[in-house]
Amino acid sequence: MIYAGIDIGSITAKAALIKDNTLVDTLIIRTGYNHLDAGKAVLQTLLEKNNLTRNDVKAIVSTGYGRNSIDFADKALTEIICHAAGAHFISPGIRGVIDVGGQDSKAILINENGQMDNFAMNDKCAAGTGRFLEVMANALDVQLDQLGEYSLKADKPAKISSICTVFAESEVISMIANQEKRENIIAGIHDSAAARVAILASKTHLAAPVMMTGGVAKNQGMRKALEARLGFDLIVGHLAQENGAIGAAVLASRL
Amino acid sequence: MKELTAFHDAANCKTPEQLNISKKIIGYMCSYVPEELIHAAGFHPMRLFSSKSDIVLAENHLQAYCCSPVRGVLENSLSGRLDFLSGAVFPHTCDSIQRLSDIWRMNNRYEFFWDVVWPAKLNTQSALTYMKDVLIKFRQDLENACGTSISDETLHDSILTYNTIRKKLSRIYELNAQNPGILNACDLLAIVKGTMIMDRDTAAMLLNTIVDQLEKKQPPDKPVKRIIIAGGICDSPDVYTIIEAAGGCVVADDLCTGQRWFKELTDETTDPISALVKRYSQRLPCPAKHNGLTKRGDHLVQLCQTHKADGIVFMLLKFCDPHGFDYPYLKETLDKHHIKSILCELDDQQQNSGQLSTRIETFIHMI
Repeated sequence: MIYAGIDIGSITAKAALIKDNTLVDTLIIRTGYNHLDAGKAVLQTLLEKNNLTRNDVKAIVSTGYGRNSIDFADKALTEIICHAAGAHFISPGIRGVIDVGGQDSKAILINENGQMDNFAMNDKCAAGTGRFLEVMANALDVQLDQLGEYSLKADKPAKISSICTVFAESEVISMIANQEKRENIIAGIHDSAAARVAILASKTHLAAPVMMTGGVAKNQGMRKALEARLGFDLIVGHLAQENGAIGAAVLASRL
Repeated sequence: MKELTAFHDAANCKTPEQLNISKKIIGYMCSYVPEELIHAAGFHPMRLFSSKSDIVLAENHLQAYCCSPVRGVLENSLSGRLDFLSGAVFPHTCDSIQRLSDIWRMNNRYEFFWDVVWPAKLNTQSALTYMKDVLIKFRQDLENACGTSISDETLHDSILTYNTIRKKLSRIYELNAQNPGILNACDLLAIVKGTMIMDRDTAAMLLNTIVDQLEKKQPPDKPVKRIIIAGGICDSPDVYTIIEAAGGCVVADDLCTGQRWFKELTDETTDPISALVKRYSQRLPCPAKHNGLTKRGDHLVQLCQTHKADGIVFMLLKFCDPHGFDYPYLKETLDKHHIKSILCELDDQQQNSGQLSTRIETFIHMI
């Protein structure tokens, strides 16, 4: 029997299918304006891709920012719960998760039984989130997925002192006007965002082994900056962005 | 319960005319205001809450780091939404309320204005002597304002009214803790908030009826996580709704707009001024006051134990320094007793409840 997880994030919608406690497949699409439509589309496309139909799915858990819009899900659970479950499913020895998504970043402490022991989440402001990086990428005229590559070539990372995304963008524009190297500005941006996330990790007393999940985990520069701040290496799987949906599918199998 | 409508009406800021309040109204915004004296003077004490409108005029007077209730109350005053007030009274508690008092006085929009300058440290003999003088002075000021003397008998009657309200509110909390779910979360908030706004004699009567009905009510057959809310002012029905939707039930609180306002009774057997001094010096302190290094921490632990609470949700107002400074020691105390807690900061004008609900849902799932 198939179990499905749907993660409606602020930027992308993800779906995952599991069968007999094994991951079948995952899919990512843009969320767009309508959360319910995105949820239907991502699940339907993933099922079709695997020659399955809705009748093959025994239970669905929705998660993410738009979790409550998915009216066909059997249960809605927060992305924090699902990222913890997903990370533990993929790597049972994990003791912590840092999830940096489009709108939120979270640090989650997991105990030896795979249960969540503590968590911290960024406040209303977007500092230290994917949206922060997106705004900066626009200001620097760089594709979001190129940020990591650029920052690894920095020789003297710039210092971004503003916490607020809007003020930090002004600071970056001043640096561009001063002809600061793009690579150095981007490395500074990553360090600034990493500093915000490291505060969450410190609040929850995270210690290795910690998995980094969410779309921002794909950004190597951000990961390096975060590792430097934390003082230990992070585990990043190839399904980091789909981790919440995988966790949701795992939890669907336990309903 | 039809009696609840009156509390919801009051909590949702109906006008004094709609609430049938004909007395002169004295506004206040802190549970350290000795309301019994205002009531005994023949005035109506009305707690002031934050503005649900945009803050525009208050921006000219306050720094950006002032909490939302202080900004909101000043905005309401400057924009004329509090023109029904005859006066206001400010206790000496947090810095923001003290500065609001100055701005309020200098704007001079109302007939009456008083500061009640309590000491910060309440557990010394000199503090008690000082508090008594403060109350005697406040009584004289009120007598000058109302044009008649406040007899001990009148003050005693007001103390009885307030004690009735406090007993009934305590009983409602007790019944809700014993049978979680007999009241929905928004009703619980409206009852307490509404009581702070509506005519107190009417409130005492209606609360009595509500208690009688709740005594007979069966709780829903649904397991709940038992939650305590702690902090300063929590005027957001969203918070209560989110807790309830996530499978929690508020079984007690440590809030200025909750049990800190009504928990302790005033002694009815001694002279009224001494009895009031005793109550306000011994009541559960807010972080702007001191009566023992660990009193709040000890109280929270005891509250959790007696109410078999599963966890505590700290709801702190953004920029509330006294609560911010108090939080680390409270968290440390709770951790030592293995009591799970979560800290949420909110602004009264905040509309985005998505992140708050993610935090609270996760916390309730985790505990």
